[in-house]
Amino acid sequence: MATSKEYSKPLPLIDNSTKPFWEGAKRHELMLYKCLHCGTYYYPAIHCIACENPKMEWVKVTGKGEVYTFCIYHSAFHPAFKEDIPYNVTWIKLLEGPLLLTNVVECKNEEIYIGMPVEVVFDDVTDEIALPKFKPTE
Amino acid sequence: MSNICGKYAFVGLGLTKQGKLPEYTVDELATQAILLALEDSGIQKQEIDGYIYQPGIGGGPTRSAPIRNAGIPARFCWELQTGSASGISTVIAAIGTMEAGLCQACILVHATSAASLGTVASKDGGSKITLAARAPVGGQRSTWGAYGYFGPVAVAAWIAQRYMHLYGLTREQMGAVAMTLREYANKRSDAIMYDKKLTLDDYMNTRMVVAPMCLYDCCLVNDGAVAMIITSAERAKYLKRDPVYVMGFGLDHSISQIGQSPQAIWHWDGFMTRHAGKKAFEMAGISLQDVDVAEMYDAFSIFLLSQLESYGICGKGESGAFVAEGNLKLNGRWPSNTSGTGLSWAYLQGFAHITEGIRQLRGEAGECQVKDAEIAMVTGLGGAAEPAAGSSIACCILGRK
Repeated sequence: MATSKEYSKPLPLIDNSTKPFWEGAKRHELMLYKCLHCGTYYYPAIHCIACENPKMEWVKVTGKGEVYTFCIYHSAFHPAFKEDIPYNVTWIKLLEGPLLLTNVVECKNEEIYIGMPVEVVFDDVTDEIALPKFKPTE
Repeated sequence: MSNICGKYAFVGLGLTKQGKLPEYTVDELATQAILLALEDSGIQKQEIDGYIYQPGIGGGPTRSAPIRNAGIPARFCWELQTGSASGISTVIAAIGTMEAGLCQACILVHATSAASLGTVASKDGGSKITLAARAPVGGQRSTWGAYGYFGPVAVAAWIAQRYMHLYGLTREQMGAVAMTLREYANKRSDAIMYDKKLTLDDYMNTRMVVAPMCLYDCCLVNDGAVAMIITSAERAKYLKRDPVYVMGFGLDHSISQIGQSPQAIWHWDGFMTRHAGKKAFEMAGISLQDVDVAEMYDAFSIFLLSQLESYGICGKGESGAFVAEGNLKLNGRWPSNTSGTGLSWAYLQGFAHITEGIRQLRGEAGECQVKDAEIAMVTGLGGAAEPAAGSSIACCILGRK
């Protein structure tokens, strides 16, 4: 596990609407914001827009999904990512519905495809922050 | 507002040199454009009592500095930011203030020192990398940097990747967009890419920026400014230029962020342009068939392709073939982006497209002139970097009569 001092990439700025997500990630649990009234899941957390009587709660979800779309960075727009080029930035469509921006890991960029089944893994980048990333489902 | 069609007109257009201009500050560029627009129109500067501007990439003009430098006694100074829908948005705001009797004539300005970031010209004191890597602040974007997302190119890449998957869009077809626009720019002496040809080989072999977007899928990064003067059709009659009338306009906006749900398909599978187009055409009292020339927002090749489908110019999934068949050329079914616009003329966000719409209707487009062009469709699209791609949409119809 790297410490904050060694880790040079940007870290998520955590606010009240994302805190339970990142607390969950630290426990290696993927959390989404769910409307208990109609069952719709959200991330980032917003008040339910699918029903008339929203009742919102953070819940642990499966961490499974599929690649929705992706891109491969060939230019370093940020110096901390220079060593990683080429790297993917990928949208996962979670089983529960929402899209999540992340990186696909344990897989070559050339092997990523839309519809590829994936599951969450947690990258403990500092003592406080674990980034949910996704690997191909075995 | 009712019966707006034809009630207001562009009477002046001022363009600075476009390109790398580190010798000028962004305020100086804006002032130059304003003075050129005044000269072009022949209007007295005392007559201009409204000023609306959009700050360009890297930070635009310093509030009222450019009109102060030019001696324009505006009663209001508005900054308006809806990304690259801002050009048309300033037109709508100007007409609103004139219709309300708040002013008689407005000057609309866009200025940027994007190519000279980090130099004395730029207000963005950081290194050039700050433009693309500008830290996303607030909401979802504050998380994205942790995964290596920076700048709007990735948004275009995500959309293109999905288009390729859903509809078989090819890189050759995306290359056709870049080459068509480059051919136009090669005929325009004030285009940044005037003397630089682009072949399919060049396109296929250039470097990827954010795959599948290569260098030629992305707009130019340049310094430059534009100013436009708009006033009543009544006043326009007595000025020296042939007026270019505003016939109609419309807007759309998405409140969904890009990742909120796959149901928000306009982010991924065509932009949400329907209301903007419908309203603009209704107001103008015309249909797509009446359009002689179009100038559609093109920060990235895929944005132009996607709009061709969203506005109903071609069918779903057909835009790649439509462009590859040559339909955007002068002899095609939909002559479009006739200066080379953002990809090959100069990137002035949505203002480059209004500029070329005006020049076409004035008959000033030289070798790229659409013969007897009377009606131009201009589009804007903002928010790719918000990052709800297509979160702001604007459409405007211009007419010669």
